[in-house]
Amino acid sequence: MMDTNSAQRLPGPQAGAVKFTMLLAGVVLLLMMIFGFVMRAAQGNLIDLDPAMFYQLLTAHGAGMVGTAGLTGAAILWYFMGRYVPLARGVFWAFLGLFLLGVVLILGAIFIGGYGGAWTFLFPLPANSGGVWGTDAAAAFLLGYVAIGVAFLLLYLEVGRKLIAAYGGIGGALAWPLVMGKGTAEDAPPPAVVAAMATTIFNTIGTVVGAAVLASSLVNLYFPEFKVDALLAKNMIYFFGHVFINASIYMAVIAVYEIIPEYTGTPWKTSRIFAVAWSLVLLFVMAVYPHHLLQDTVMPAWSLAMGQIVSYLSGIPLLAVTAFSLIVYLRKANAMRWDLASALLVLGMAGWSVGSVPAIIDGMISVNKVMHNTQWVPGHFHIYLILGEVAMAFGFMMWLIGKPEHKAAGGFNWAAFSAYVLGGAGFTLMFLVSGALSVPRRWAVHAPEWVLQSQIATGFALLVILGAAMFVLRYLLGLKHSAGR
Amino acid sequence: MAIQSNVLLISLVLMAVVAGFFISAVRASRKPDTGAPREVVRTRFIYALLVVGVIVTAVSLRPWPHAISAANGPSATVNVTGAMWYWEIDRETVPLGVPVIFNARTTDVTHGFGVMDSQDRLLFQTQAIPGYVNQVEHVFRQPGVYRVVCMEYCGVAHHAMTNEFTVAAAN
Repeated sequence: MMDTNSAQRLPGPQAGAVKFTMLLAGVVLLLMMIFGFVMRAAQGNLIDLDPAMFYQLLTAHGAGMVGTAGLTGAAILWYFMGRYVPLARGVFWAFLGLFLLGVVLILGAIFIGGYGGAWTFLFPLPANSGGVWGTDAAAAFLLGYVAIGVAFLLLYLEVGRKLIAAYGGIGGALAWPLVMGKGTAEDAPPPAVVAAMATTIFNTIGTVVGAAVLASSLVNLYFPEFKVDALLAKNMIYFFGHVFINASIYMAVIAVYEIIPEYTGTPWKTSRIFAVAWSLVLLFVMAVYPHHLLQDTVMPAWSLAMGQIVSYLSGIPLLAVTAFSLIVYLRKANAMRWDLASALLVLGMAGWSVGSVPAIIDGMISVNKVMHNTQWVPGHFHIYLILGEVAMAFGFMMWLIGKPEHKAAGGFNWAAFSAYVLGGAGFTLMFLVSGALSVPRRWAVHAPEWVLQSQIATGFALLVILGAAMFVLRYLLGLKHSAGR
Repeated sequence: MAIQSNVLLISLVLMAVVAGFFISAVRASRKPDTGAPREVVRTRFIYALLVVGVIVTAVSLRPWPHAISAANGPSATVNVTGAMWYWEIDRETVPLGVPVIFNARTTDVTHGFGVMDSQDRLLFQTQAIPGYVNQVEHVFRQPGVYRVVCMEYCGVAHHAMTNEFTVAAAN
């Protein structure tokens, strides 16, 4: 445990760097949402878009959204760990610099080099474009990922070593004494620390596996005689991809643990069940990835069964621990203060929980057989991104700039929140309905009978963009205001 | 009713239930303590989720969804090969009412072999991945023309990678 003296020496959160990062993230999120809007409009025959450009936008949207979710999660983790351990400030700037280098490489690969191999870079598609993009474009895209991966490893190295030093090892930071029934809840690290330690471990492992398959793919690009087993590569890619996007949400939830108690008046404590849940999450996040390979029947049957079973089990810590606790805290509150920050953070938890339902159902092999790679899949993950992780990120941004001072802000905030929730719900519902109607995902051109849902979804996408633009505007004005103080 | 309609219905109901708990907690948050659920409720909830999980797992994994049962009786085998951006199918007509085994291969990148009925409803799929043969079995109950689509993104003409075959009663 950390003693009080060292706690007093803490430099505190790196607020300026994190505020700047969240501004960048907000702008990129808006841009990526516009890409999404354009794709749905093209599927709805509302605009004419060349398929090659559609798939470039698809690639940019996927990589951009996953990357930005990771960026916002990392910024939240970094900000709040600054409350508990002394972090080297240069590491965050190195992280951000490498991340932006990666973004430049990825955007260059896509919009200059014509790369359109999707964010999943499924081997051997990057090397085999059918004449649409060249080897260098594919290499730039993969190198962009490598830069972002190194950025995350640096950040986790710093967070991990400081947490280990301050809390007496990995087990201490994960509250294992409490899990074993040896420690007391009072001595356990705060929930944010437990969450940060767990995500640091699993996303470091995920990123290293990702780096290995990226390196293999890069060598294969220039030396095709260097063969890579496509099934092994696919396992590694989905392990990395699944762990990374989940880590984004698990890092963002730190904002809920740290900020919501300011509103309810009840501190969020590390209980035994909380500590057990996070140790299970650590295992489940890594063990569940075969649910992305349920239609590869050559995979060992036990691994596919494990994918289905762990998918279901993953819902238990989420619903019965984190969501349940939030509901308890809300019901116990006597006069919860609602503003844009608290509303978005609670929305984020609700969206994540609701989105887990269609995800778990699609994780069943028999369902997956008719739902895999239909629009059901973007349906469920857009719920826990738009209404989950991204809502948490926007909530954190609103909290960073402080409270709205005057009444007009109330109406503006309410309009922004309503547009975002209504737009998000309608947009994702259209994906789910289309999935149930067997509309495949990632098709540039849709059959005439699928066009209506795409058109409706385009309208809802516009609402999401309107709400998000209002959040970013409010954040920008708030930053200006706080800078003037 | 097709499996997809059931899945949509069940999902929407469960999603509404989860959302309902949050909405009711938000409503209660401004009032004095409205009786928050106690730890015993959480424990019961966890046990309930585990029990439901065991039942759902047992029912949904037995028989094994990817089982190839055709070895025990009359059957047909169809070889399908995906390539950028077309499907090669080694027979035009597939028998009705008997298990049909599809062997899915690819000559280049990963494709997704998906079969849709005349209403464009996806009946089944499997991945076609370089270096491997994924097998999937299906018994067709309706004669007619079935459409083959690509269910794994494979480049610029992914959406146009279609073919078809006919299902007819075996002579």
